[in-house]
Amino acid sequence: MLKRTKKDENNTPFYGGDTVEEKPIPATPRPTVSQERYTSEEKTTIGERITIEGSIRGEANLVIEGAMKGTIEMGKYNFSIGPKGRVDGEIHAQDVSINGQFKGTIKALGKVAVTQKADFNGEIKAKSFSVEDGAYFKGVVELDRESHKNIAATETPKGPSSPEPAKQSVIPPNDVKMEK
Amino acid sequence: MIFSTTRHENNSDAESFPVGYNSTILKEFVDTLEVLKDTQTLDVGPVCQENISFFALRMGRHYVCDMFLRLKGEKRKELHPADGWKHLDYPDRNFDGIQLWDLCDHLEDDDVSRLVKLCYKMLRATGLLMLIAFEKEPATSIVNTFVIGQGCRVDIRPQPHLELPWKFRHNRALTSLLSRFTIVRSFRYHSGIREFLFKKPGSFRDF
Repeated sequence: MLKRTKKDENNTPFYGGDTVEEKPIPATPRPTVSQERYTSEEKTTIGERITIEGSIRGEANLVIEGAMKGTIEMGKYNFSIGPKGRVDGEIHAQDVSINGQFKGTIKALGKVAVTQKADFNGEIKAKSFSVEDGAYFKGVVELDRESHKNIAATETPKGPSSPEPAKQSVIPPNDVKMEK
Repeated sequence: MIFSTTRHENNSDAESFPVGYNSTILKEFVDTLEVLKDTQTLDVGPVCQENISFFALRMGRHYVCDMFLRLKGEKRKELHPADGWKHLDYPDRNFDGIQLWDLCDHLEDDDVSRLVKLCYKMLRATGLLMLIAFEKEPATSIVNTFVIGQGCRVDIRPQPHLELPWKFRHNRALTSLLSRFTIVRSFRYHSGIREFLFKKPGSFRDF
């Protein structure tokens, strides 16, 4: 449980000359993206030495370790780019995992996961999204706000919804002065 | 759990760091933009899952371009940081809000001016610009992510893969570099974190 102190309901502006004291707390743990595992399901792998230009449609989970330029439509199946894989195009799938290079658009029915090894440049539309710190990422993310609202509405918190307000104390002005 | 320390040049006692706090500026930034229709926001990094999800669930479209990683890459290639700005190639008046976090702390004045000019172009009229500046030099040059939690609480997570030089600026110097914007609000926290919220002048939102 994080402990902290809060001095006042409103934090203090520079020009008011006061400061807000906060207690140190542990650093936020680094998130990790779980690698897609298809061990129990059928999957097709396009190897490192394969290059495809065009479109792919399938009814099985697909992993690309090679290069692909075009459209990938997997419907309700999962799609993954391996660490050495390169894809330039549009992906439609259930869950998508990016471990290699990607440029284009992803439309996922479920989750998009981008790992630290990824080089991502594109657009994501998905229900949920995860990315590891250190991923080379430039993109636009649009998440399904409606499903999130529905989940939030059904998960009514039993306790207070926000952390317990912390104590605050006002500290006299120091060397910080705001010039407005 | 990871801890790092900050140390003021006149104070040999290492202060505990990082510091979590409830960000008033972030709350105002979010509250203002959340009510707009088709809001577009830009985060200049570092890449942070929590922050991306936070904004993507509240704004129409959330853009992320990790300039920290790109600046580090330019530095490693011994290129001028100016080469990194080509990545911010978004259309004019594209965003309602831009999160700069503490990027300016890692830039020389010339580059801050370039960045500010770019932000001014990319922001719509009445658009908001949020930035954070540390008051005390971190003990290491490792960059931190400001991780958004519940209720606009901000915690700090070190990014060991990101090391960039740090530059201190007084408030006056910082606001002078951003003088083309109107300052909306600013706060200083006891931890030494300063937050600023700027607004692009204009009477109505243009897009």
